[in-house]
Amino acid sequence: MIRYLLNRLLWMVPLLVGISLISFFIMHLAPGDITATEASFDPKASEESRQKLRELYNLDKPVIVQYGLWLKRMATLDFGTSFASHQRPVFWQTTDEQGNVRKGMIQQALPVTLLINVLSLVLIIAVALPLGVISALTRNRAPDRAITFFVFIGFAIPGFWLALMLMYWTGVANNWLPISGLHSIGYENMGAIAQIFDTLKHLVLPVFISGLSGLAGISLFVRNGMLDVLHQDYITTARAKGLSENTVVYGHALRNALLPLITIFGLSIPGLIGGSVIAESIFAIPGMGKLFYDAVLMRDFPVIMGILTIGAALTLIGNLLADLAYAWADPRVRRGVMQ
Amino acid sequence: MSFTRLLCLTLLTLLAGCGEPQQDPNVDYDQVYPAVDGGNMINAMTGEPSGLIPMIAGESAASAIASNIFNSLLKYDKNLELEGELAESWTISPDHRTITFKLKPDMKWADGQPLTSADVLFTWKLVTDENTRTPYGSDYKLVIKAETPDTRTFRVSYQEPYAPALDTWAGLQILPKHLLEGQDINTTAFARNPVGSHYYKLEQWRNGERISLIRNPLATQGEARIERLVSRFIPDAASQFLELMADNIDTMNLNPIQYARIFPSRPDLTQKIGLYKELGNSYTYLGFNLKRKPFDDIRIRQAINYAINKQELIDGVLLGLGEPVSSPYKPGTRWTNPELQPYPYDAQKAIALLKEAGYADHDGDGILDKDGKPLTFEMLTNQNKQREMSAVLIQRRLKEIGIDARIRVLEWASFIGRFIKTGEFDAVVLGWSLSLDPDQYSIWHSSQQAPGQFNFIGYNNPQVDRLLEQGRLELDIEKRTKIYHEFARLLLEDSPIVYLYAGYGLPAIHKRIKGIDDPAPPAGIGHNSHEWYIPQPLRRLEISAQ
Repeated sequence: MIRYLLNRLLWMVPLLVGISLISFFIMHLAPGDITATEASFDPKASEESRQKLRELYNLDKPVIVQYGLWLKRMATLDFGTSFASHQRPVFWQTTDEQGNVRKGMIQQALPVTLLINVLSLVLIIAVALPLGVISALTRNRAPDRAITFFVFIGFAIPGFWLALMLMYWTGVANNWLPISGLHSIGYENMGAIAQIFDTLKHLVLPVFISGLSGLAGISLFVRNGMLDVLHQDYITTARAKGLSENTVVYGHALRNALLPLITIFGLSIPGLIGGSVIAESIFAIPGMGKLFYDAVLMRDFPVIMGILTIGAALTLIGNLLADLAYAWADPRVRRGVMQ
Repeated sequence: MSFTRLLCLTLLTLLAGCGEPQQDPNVDYDQVYPAVDGGNMINAMTGEPSGLIPMIAGESAASAIASNIFNSLLKYDKNLELEGELAESWTISPDHRTITFKLKPDMKWADGQPLTSADVLFTWKLVTDENTRTPYGSDYKLVIKAETPDTRTFRVSYQEPYAPALDTWAGLQILPKHLLEGQDINTTAFARNPVGSHYYKLEQWRNGERISLIRNPLATQGEARIERLVSRFIPDAASQFLELMADNIDTMNLNPIQYARIFPSRPDLTQKIGLYKELGNSYTYLGFNLKRKPFDDIRIRQAINYAINKQELIDGVLLGLGEPVSSPYKPGTRWTNPELQPYPYDAQKAIALLKEAGYADHDGDGILDKDGKPLTFEMLTNQNKQREMSAVLIQRRLKEIGIDARIRVLEWASFIGRFIKTGEFDAVVLGWSLSLDPDQYSIWHSSQQAPGQFNFIGYNNPQVDRLLEQGRLELDIEKRTKIYHEFARLLLEDSPIVYLYAGYGLPAIHKRIKGIDDPAPPAGIGHNSHEWYIPQPLRRLEISAQ
């Protein structure tokens, strides 16, 4: 077991280097760099100053040299600073001699995104599981049809459109929820309870919108998993033993039907730190999606690489955790791992 | 943002007229109230500043907020003429090489420290320092000597007379020496916690959410009326508009569809929100690669200019909310030559010019040709809806006179990197800003054609070169005006670019805000924002309770 774990962890290092190498080259395939943004197309700005900036950031060197420099820094877990004019640390805060703290960009964007994604994951599980089970148990009857119908609508509806409609309905036509942002203007003067309530009110729509498509997918997954399992021999056996329908469905069928979900949740770990650009732009939430999108548009290479590397590492860890969880949940798999 | 999204929103707002208005409909926003201090004004911005030191940050979001915090020596008044801001007066030496600024007396920074000529000198040193990562240093490096004979006098000398100098001193925001000395300006914490001397000072910056500014009681230009300015960062234009409808923000910049289509159909909105028009800061043009055939021939360029109907573009692309220009300056200001008129739409004249240049449809395919080569070219533009729509309208008009123009839309970085810098293009649809100082040396002088420089269309007219050089040396404003009027006339005649239009800025401002100059003067609606006020009965309840 330990050997298996060590083996897997060691393999992650070359994998990560490979992923980062490919990411780095793909990133440089896009034309332009930080000095070629639309804002820098200003007759008052001189070409010499742009050239100076290019030299400063080693953008005039061959890509492979730039990659080497990046890898050297990464070896000490230094994500570097942004190419943007504020030059903030990419990942975590730094403190200068005067004691001024400069917050990291990912450090500031991550908590919001994580909060929204965790909440929407909870929402997905809480709603999709029962929906899927009901759907499977009432297969081809009215409840199943209705659920499948709504799930498909939820899957197909463009998120930004629904978001705007809901914003209009709950924020403009009725004064139920705030439209965008994370905190109200008077947030600082509220009591602690009011602050939490205020934040939650702001999160209702973003969480719902970002959970919607996942909800559709997972509930169909649960439905199909359940249907597969319900046709297995051991379910027939369980029924033949005279077990109650509840024990058959929830004690035997559901537990087996949920096994594949482990993989899905394992794979959704990296997704937890990735925000949705569209949702974050519409709701004016300063999260990871917007951070990454802006960095790509600006060709802010350290930020792009920082987010990609963290994403890649989390994907690998998610895979490993999914495999371990699988082994824990399924004796057949466990035997394979232990050998 | 995306057009479909706008369309959805338009439909939505038209359909949803039945929605309950939540504001008390009895409030009469048009009533007259006396000017009072206090209140909060909330506006929406699409981007967040990277920092609040404008020379470092560079983007428009930063300068929009920093312009409330920092002063410059000079400023532009409402008619876009220079006047003193920190400077009480300025004098130019007889040889036109030295400018002496006399500062106003007893000025203070927001932290109570005195603001003196030492701060001005310090800022000049910063912007010209090799280690300062600013793209704007080159203008200030022309100063060969800067000195401070006393605490209220700042004197700069140039190698030779430099007429745009005064404009550059209106663009340099003065930073406090006592807080920045010895710090690395590129990474200083001051960028997120600035101390200035203007109407407002930073109250709070919530990362990614908003910046709030509060009135500075020590402001060098007297106190503003509104107590607090909050700028919320809302990247999506549709979301901004929803916030405006819900009365959560007071001001935003509208697009033509919102202005001309949505507002007129919503009396509940026009009742509480005022719409304004101001001159935009830029114009859109069709530029030719003058180093390529057939654009080296002035008749082809003029023919295309005659063939494009500018009013049609303004009506189609901007829904009428713009105006044609015939020189690269703001219409109605000193630098605009009033005698110049845009090329009128005249297809017959265009065809005659093309014929004169030797083009005719020999093979009968509907496209003109000469020596067996059809008259065809490619228009490049970046992903900008207005520019794309303009290109489509131009394409159709050119087709009518027998020119086959194709359109190619590119992402900005590849547009610049692969086509503009290498000169590998036929024509572009792009925009230039309508600058306040008339000097446009970097765009039109023949020496500015190297890769990365701004005369990428390859314009080369010795007469224009001479005028641009003279204009830089001439400090007498009347003579200078003449030079640039002549420059604009030659430029229009040469037709290296086709001026398409200058769109209006379309600010929407809630009617609770009073004291707005309407119609807006050339400097724009915000020129007197320090005099705006919010009468007590019209303020938002939840905030005035603080």
